[in-house]
Amino acid sequence: MARVEFRNVRKEFQDHSKESFTAVAGSDFVINDKEFVVFVGPSGCGKTTSLRMIAGLEHQTSGDILIGDRVVNNLHPKDRDIAMVFQDYALYPHMTIRDNLSFGLKNLKKPKAYIDQKVKEAAAILDMEPMLGRKPRELSGGQRQRVALGRAIVRDPQVFLFDEPLSNLDAKLRVQMRVELSELHKRLGATIVYVTHDQVEAMTLGERIVVMNRGIIQQIANPTELYAKPRNMFVAGFIGSPPMNFIDASIEGGRVVVEGGSFELPAAKLDALSPYAGRKLILGIRPEDIHGEDYAPGLETSPHRMNTHIQVVEHLGSENLLYFHIGGRLVTAKVHPETKAYPGLEKPFIFDMRKAHFFDPDSEQRIEI
Amino acid sequence: MQSQSQPQTQSRKLMLTIAGILLLLWTILTIVPLYWMLVGSLQDSAASASFRPAMIPEALSLAPYERFFAKTAAWRWLFNSLLVSSVLTVTNVFFASLAGYAFAKLKFPGSNAIFWILLSTMMIPAQVTLIPLYILMVNTLQLQDTYTAIILPTAVSVGNIFLMKQYMSSLPTSLIHAARIDACGEFRIFWRVILPLAKPGLAVLAIFTFVASWNEFFWPFLITSSTDMRTIQVGLASFVFAESTDFGAMMAGATIGALPMMILFFSLQRYFLQGITIGAVKG
Ligand SMILES: Nc1ncnc2c1ncn2[C@@H]1O[C@H](COP(=O)(O)OP(=O)(O)O)[C@@H](O)[C@H]1O
Ligand SMILES: [Mg+2]
Repeated sequence: MARVEFRNVRKEFQDHSKESFTAVAGSDFVINDKEFVVFVGPSGCGKTTSLRMIAGLEHQTSGDILIGDRVVNNLHPKDRDIAMVFQDYALYPHMTIRDNLSFGLKNLKKPKAYIDQKVKEAAAILDMEPMLGRKPRELSGGQRQRVALGRAIVRDPQVFLFDEPLSNLDAKLRVQMRVELSELHKRLGATIVYVTHDQVEAMTLGERIVVMNRGIIQQIANPTELYAKPRNMFVAGFIGSPPMNFIDASIEGGRVVVEGGSFELPAAKLDALSPYAGRKLILGIRPEDIHGEDYAPGLETSPHRMNTHIQVVEHLGSENLLYFHIGGRLVTAKVHPETKAYPGLEKPFIFDMRKAHFFDPDSEQRIEI
Repeated sequence: MQSQSQPQTQSRKLMLTIAGILLLLWTILTIVPLYWMLVGSLQDSAASASFRPAMIPEALSLAPYERFFAKTAAWRWLFNSLLVSSVLTVTNVFFASLAGYAFAKLKFPGSNAIFWILLSTMMIPAQVTLIPLYILMVNTLQLQDTYTAIILPTAVSVGNIFLMKQYMSSLPTSLIHAARIDACGEFRIFWRVILPLAKPGLAVLAIFTFVASWNEFFWPFLITSSTDMRTIQVGLASFVFAESTDFGAMMAGATIGALPMMILFFSLQRYFLQGITIGAVKG
């Protein structure tokens, strides 16, 4: 039983001028037992601070933190039954890998046979038996990262805390470690709280994702829901790559009007949008939901067409990125490579309005339709 | 291009030449007295009684050394110096690193205020506190003429605390956090994680403290009165007053007093150079 719960947790830092800065503004969430939850958001949004409050390295200004059924507000990190993997790995440079792995258990005064057994197990899981006698500086980045993982595993904690553990690895290794982490999660059956600024990492690893911005939780949802039903423009723009396009629009005479064109809307959607009739709103559409007219499988008969003037073409092999302007905003379309496109070409595009989102321009909240 | 860079390299060459000459002069100025001391100590008294030792001695003799050791308690003084300097080195390294670590990495109420108060004491010249310190040691604590009295006032210096704070700041904080999660007690973190990493800094601190303590004259001179409690520097001075004619033996004593520092310097040169920059590094 190791759920993690935040009840209205705030964290303020005092800077030198004695002004307080809110790093985490009243977080509320429950992470279930054995769940893999990812905190994601831009740099400085309070992810690490949240993680360190779970660990007990940082004390919250107000609110309660629960691990399992215990309120751990005043518990020392060592008593919280957690283990943490740091962004810079934080391996003890003067100790061998074996000593790095066993340091925690020695401090807990575990019997030697038990420690040896645990170190052996972790080394086997992570494929690092040959490294045990070496010092951290003699290992590559990927190997250090494994040792950091191993140091957490030997502790057998109820909750694993990961702070951007892959950010110092090269792209290829990162993909490989992502897969290994997923497998490790299944194998260990522990609760994992994972922090990253990389939305791809969040989407691939997280069973549920907590999106943060400026210390405020924007949305908590599983990857599918986060992608399909972002709660606001921040989440919509943060999740997905390239990010969602935002186009100024208005509702006029049952149509969505944008600069240079308009789209008819089904009656059901119009109902939900009727309060916005005659007002500005923001149309959100993902690059993958805009297709060239000549390659739009299943959408050939769609009435939602609009002529645009292609400005830039990027060839990525499996797809092409096309850029054009609508209403002064740069719009990206991610299209099939067979779509005919070159800079300067003017051609009709099909906008998949079934997948379009609408946002209130003032509150930036998504309008549920 | 050519005509533009030409005068530049020429003026640079000139600067380098001038700098070279100045440094050479400085080196000569520094070395001559040392050389004189060494040469003076290696010629017998007839030649050096006039205190005009030949710059290039004709005959070398260890007689001045024999006389110096025969007439003084030099072994005892050397022992005293060694003891005092060693203890001071250990206390300074231990306390300065502990305090430096606390100021650099631990959060506690008033840490900034305490640190600035400590730093401000560096502004007070040592002479100002000398008399109160003497009264405290002699009248209040009744410690005159003891090792404790020689050692206590400089057991840890603010300068060293500052140096260690700078050094400790450069160590990664995440290691401390990792150790805390690894159930490591606070003192054990300092002892098992921080100190081993701070070794280069500690080495520099140790060497500088040892040298400074070895060369310290005024305080040991003030607080000790018996021959047996003198350090080598104080002993040398008293010998100079007592034997104002035996220059050879005086030079021998001075050489003996300086020798350990020279050995230390040449064997640990690299740390001395580090010591000059250590306050400046910040990771
Ligand atoms: N010890 C601290 N003192 C003051 N401000 C801090 C401290 N730790 C973090 N912050 C601030 O809190 C905000 C959130 O930091 P952090 O949680 O590390 O962000 P991230 O989401 O990038 O991990 C940042 O603006 C950071 O500058
Ligand atoms: Mg962070």
